[in-house]
Amino acid sequence: MTQQAQGSRVYTVGDELPTVKRVLSQEKINRYAEASGDHNPLHMDPAFAATTQFGGTIAHGMLVLAYISEMMTVAFGERWLRSGRLKVRFRGAARPGDTVTASGRVSRIEGESTLCEVACRNQAGEPLISGEAEVRT
Amino acid sequence: MTVSLADLPKGHEFPETRFEMTSKWVSEYVSAVEDDAIGSLSHGACPPLAIAALSIRALLDRASLPEGSIHVAQELSFSLGRPPSGALVARARIASRGERQGWVLMGIELLVEDELRIPMMTGRATITFPTEGAK
Repeated sequence: MTQQAQGSRVYTVGDELPTVKRVLSQEKINRYAEASGDHNPLHMDPAFAATTQFGGTIAHGMLVLAYISEMMTVAFGERWLRSGRLKVRFRGAARPGDTVTASGRVSRIEGESTLCEVACRNQAGEPLISGEAEVRT
Repeated sequence: MTVSLADLPKGHEFPETRFEMTSKWVSEYVSAVEDDAIGSLSHGACPPLAIAALSIRALLDRASLPEGSIHVAQELSFSLGRPPSGALVARARIASRGERQGWVLMGIELLVEDELRIPMMTGRATITFPTEGAK
């Protein structure tokens, strides 16, 4: 379903942000590799990836992070583009077939800044990314 | 031949790289990440992570990722008061590098400015890779 940015909404502490859900596939990972120019075989070569600690291909961290950015765009609209800040850690690998959900919650409001706890999790609830996002008015 | 990040020391500064955010490339990026929200904003709006992705791509043209690299953390700040147009200039430096238990941990700072030298994005990527890939 197409997400519409809701940048005019006013959020208060504790509010949940609208989630973004995506199903990963090897084809999508390959498409991101083409766009980003990151052809690391860990993402694209199943035979190579099978020899690594991951046991198979995984998605680029920046691809999964893009789902958090989309969630922030939906929640805050142009404000996210004008004044966004992200600080995250990549905590787990997202694999082809995984359903990734980006979620967030307003944790603090400090002056002109709205700070949100943000995360991506897979279908088992395992954390893929966690961190903080900030927008200013 | 492209140098490997594994061969570069702390403090290394990459040469400035110029790149263009063409509408064709932005469309490819938006399609790849399935960003349904950006299209509902003003005409020409660009996902901020597209700038990060393209500047990292420019960086990877200068220095390849060592085999087995893992992206550990990412910080980004952006100020896209208007859609990016024309050439953008990316600068990067290796801000930190350390070794522990067979792995190199490297922090790379990135700055992207427009042609008027107005900052559009700053960031720091932290990656790790096995020391056997390093000198």
